[in-house]
Parts: sequence; C-alpha cells; structure tokens
Amino acid sequence: MRTLLPWAVAAVVLALVPLWVQSPYALHIFILLFIAIALGESWNVIGGFAGQYSVGHAAWYGLGAYGAFILLQRKAIAPWFGVWVAVAAAVIVALAVGWITFRLRGPYFVLASIAVAEIIRLAALNWKELTNGAEGILAADVPPLRLGGTVITDWNSKTPYYYMGLAMALFCIAVNFLVKRSKLGYYLQAIREDQDAAHSLGIPLTLSKNTALAISAACTALAGSFAAFYVGFIEPQGVFGIEVSIQMVLTCIIGGIGTVAGPVIGAVVVVLLSEALRASLSSAHLLVYGVLVIIVILTMPDGFVGFIAQRLRRKAAPA
Amino acid sequence: MTALLEVRNVSRFFGGVKANLDVSFSVEQGIVLGLIGPNGAGKTTLFNCITGFYPPSSGEIFFEGQRINGYPPDKVCKLGMARTWQKVRPLAKLTVLENTVVGALCRTNSVAEAQRIALEQLRVVGLEGRAPVLAGGLPIGERKKLELARVLATRPRMILLDEVMGGLNARESEEIIQLILDVKKRGLTQVVIEHDMKAIVRTCDRIVVLNSGEKLAEGVPQEIVNDPRVMAAYLGDSGGAKA
Repeated sequence: MRTLLPWAVAAVVLALVPLWVQSPYALHIFILLFIAIALGESWNVIGGFAGQYSVGHAAWYGLGAYGAFILLQRKAIAPWFGVWVAVAAAVIVALAVGWITFRLRGPYFVLASIAVAEIIRLAALNWKELTNGAEGILAADVPPLRLGGTVITDWNSKTPYYYMGLAMALFCIAVNFLVKRSKLGYYLQAIREDQDAAHSLGIPLTLSKNTALAISAACTALAGSFAAFYVGFIEPQGVFGIEVSIQMVLTCIIGGIGTVAGPVIGAVVVVLLSEALRASLSSAHLLVYGVLVIIVILTMPDGFVGFIAQRLRRKAAPA
Repeated sequence: MTALLEVRNVSRFFGGVKANLDVSFSVEQGIVLGLIGPNGAGKTTLFNCITGFYPPSSGEIFFEGQRINGYPPDKVCKLGMARTWQKVRPLAKLTVLENTVVGALCRTNSVAEAQRIALEQLRVVGLEGRAPVLAGGLPIGERKKLELARVLATRPRMILLDEVMGGLNARESEEIIQLILDVKKRGLTQVVIEHDMKAIVRTCDRIVVLNSGEKLAEGVPQEIVNDPRVMAAYLGDSGGAKA
C-alpha cells in the first residue's frame, strides 16, 4: 500500500490546483496532460504488459470520438450517455479485430494494427452520410450536465474539463494498477516475455490478449471522446490519423513501457515539450520529438522509469 | 491398462521430412521414461506433438484415457501435462518468483495463493534464495532449475523434461538427477529426453529409443545399453541398425 501513497498525494494536490490557478492556458496544459496520461496508460495495457505493439490505437480513439459525436448530432443523446455507447462500440470492433490480428506475431501484428486504423479512417472519410466526411463534425449544443434538477456545469469554462480529465487519468492509472497485480497481468507479462513458454504454462494466448485489448480499447475510446469534446470538433485525420497512435506509443516508450508510472512521466515530457517547442519551432517541433525518442531509445531503452529503477538497484546492490 | 500417457502410431511430417514415423509407446503412472536417440531423431518433435505445439500428422495421443490430439498447449497444461524447453525460456524481465507464479496461476485465480505455491516449488529446486532476482540474469544451471520449478508449480500429473541437464557441469547435473528422483518419489510421472546415458540409467525405469523419427527399441535400461542396434544408431552404423 506504500506505493499508493505518492499517487494519492498527487491526486489530492491536482484536485486543489484549480482553486489557485485561474489561467485558462495553465488549465489547458493540465487537461492536455490528463488526456496524454489516460492515452498512455490505455496503450500500456496491451503494448506495455502484453508486449503487443499496436500502432493502430487511433482506431479506438476515433471510434470513441465519432461514436459520441454522431449520437449527439443525429440522436441528440447527451455525451455522458453517448460516451458509453461509443466505448462499447469500440470494444466490440476491437474484439473482432483482435480475433483476427492476434494470430500475427511481432512486426506483422504492428503492420496489421496500422492497417486496421487506416481502414477505419478511410471509412470515416468516405461514409459522408454518417460522418460528414472530411468536413468533420462540430460539437454543437452540448447539453448542460444536470444532477437531479440542478445544473452542475454548462461546459463554458475549463474547470469541469479539468476535473473530468483528472478523474479519467486517475481511472486509467487505477486500471493499470489492478491489471498489473492480477492474474491477467502475470499472463500478459509472460506472453510479452515468451509467448511459447507462456502457452506451455497453461496461458490461453488469444483470450488473454483479447481481454487486454478490450480493456485498452475501452480506456482509449473514453479518452478519445473526452478529448474530442474538449476540442469541440473532429475530422477523420485528426482522430484516426497515425499521429494519434504514435503519440500513445511514444508516451510509453519515453516514460517506460510496462510500468504504471512510465506513461505519466512520458505524458509530462511529451505535453510540455510539444507545447514549449510548438510556439518557437512551429511544425519543426516534430523533429525535436524524433531526436528525443532516438536519445531515449539509445540511452534508456526501458524509458525514464526503467532507467531510474536500474540506478536504484545498482545503488542497493553495489557488486 | 493404466497408462497415464499413450502415444499411438504418431507420425509428424514437415513437408517431405518425416520427423516422427509411426511412434507408439505408453507411460504408466509413477514411472520415469527416458526418451533417447541421436541428434535429429525426433525427440523434441514428439514432445511438441504430445504437448500440443504441433498436431501430429497422423496417429493418436491419449492422456488419462482422453484423446488430446489437436488440443492447444494451454489446455494440455491444464489437463496436467507440463513440459520444459531444451533451449530454456525464462521470462527474462520477471523475477524468479514471478516466473514461478505464472506457472502456479494455472491452478488458482488468487495471486497470493500462487505466490505461496511458487515459493514452495522454488524451495524444492533450491532457488528460494534467488526469488527476487530477474530471471534473465540467472546462470544456465539456475535457469534449468527455474524451468523445473515453473512446471512443478502448475501442479502437473506428468512432466516432460527436454534435456534439463544439457550444458550443465557434473555437480549441477547431479543436483538435477537428485531432483528427478525426489520428484519421482512423490509419485509424479516423468518423461525425460537426455543425452547423458549415465543419468538416464540412474533415473529411468524404461527407455524408448528413437532413430530417424522411428522407434528403434524399448526396454529397461540394461537391455537398452546392451542392444547392438542402439549402439549402431549412436555410432552411425546404418548396417547395424537394420540388423
């Protein structure tokens, strides 16, 4: 339980931040950070624990976003109901895809995951009756959130997004904690380390991977639809594009794949860096990104968390 | 007949290559059966067929009277048959304890319970002191023991050991021989692939000899070591093998 203490302290401090910080820009950065954490932790379940390097998670992100937007636009279903329908839809599609693509190993699985996201992106681009095609959808008339008769928020400030984002990030972190310590977590890590050995020890490969994918896709879709409502607008390239998938992978690589803290640290680095560089370098900030990833892979192949853990281990046992 | 495992006319082809041809034998409850033969005789292929990694091309495999052809490896393990790997496969970034917990979770849903079982099995093989170490950092002798602890943790009815003494020095081999004998005393049925004839003679109740994928001979150790066909197979005299 001692490992939970720093997390609890951080959560309480972050919950108090809006009481002091009024700057919309500062809150905006925090919200971006929460989204990045949620996405990194989501990817970590299937990529980090199970070692299945999906570069197609934009599919689940976009399905979450489009699902909730379309329900609002066509059926006037409020997002806090629509989101769950969108999440369920993403999970169903993910399971169908997983059932097919988990037969593939290593780089073939990676390629298949990219292909799936591209197929869905092209479908969203061309199925204009449903998605509005390249014009995208604007989140118009988001109804205020009511509990009983009282209006809790009408979404006109950043504060409600801040708290929802924080709750979502904490939820995704908690999911990672629970998965890592569960039977499923051991199974996934065994599959990551050696699939045949895992299979011979009684681990059902496809079932375990699909369970992990369902959890991962659900969290990704949730974060995707939250991010979309925060921005207020979606279009196919923005939510289904490979940049979305790559961002999730990078967050984990930089912070430390397969650890709970890794995606949090990765998210801080990625969000702060891209904000700091975007102003001065415009789109050349991607270049700095690339260099950073190369440096991390070369010098800290297990990410920041792995690097620090290794240092601590060496200090503990100087041999 | 009280055979725990029965292999009936099993063949396995890879394209035109016959890795196993019409192999039959059975393993009774509680014995240690040795599976020997020159390199390329089809021993590991036979293990892979029995444990579900490849389905046999023809023939049948029965475990406790149940036909298990085509069962996937995880189901075979759940039924109570666990195997080790000739080229050891530690889960490198997990600790020795976690590796063994993975095996133990085959029989329980509780991680705490699995940890208890895992520690118990690490004690059996003498690795309890290495529990918190990453498995990737173990020397070969300890890796082989970890393989053994991991399969024991699945609480099997039968284990298949693929060259658990390969690459070990004399002292380490002796420890493994003792382990096989201890496990046998507890009534666990074992099939062992081994090249070291001294180890085979000391541990096995019966020996099956494979050569070029086919069963060449079967018998108690004394018969096998004195069998001229077996000698010929090992020394490469094909004329003698046909005699």
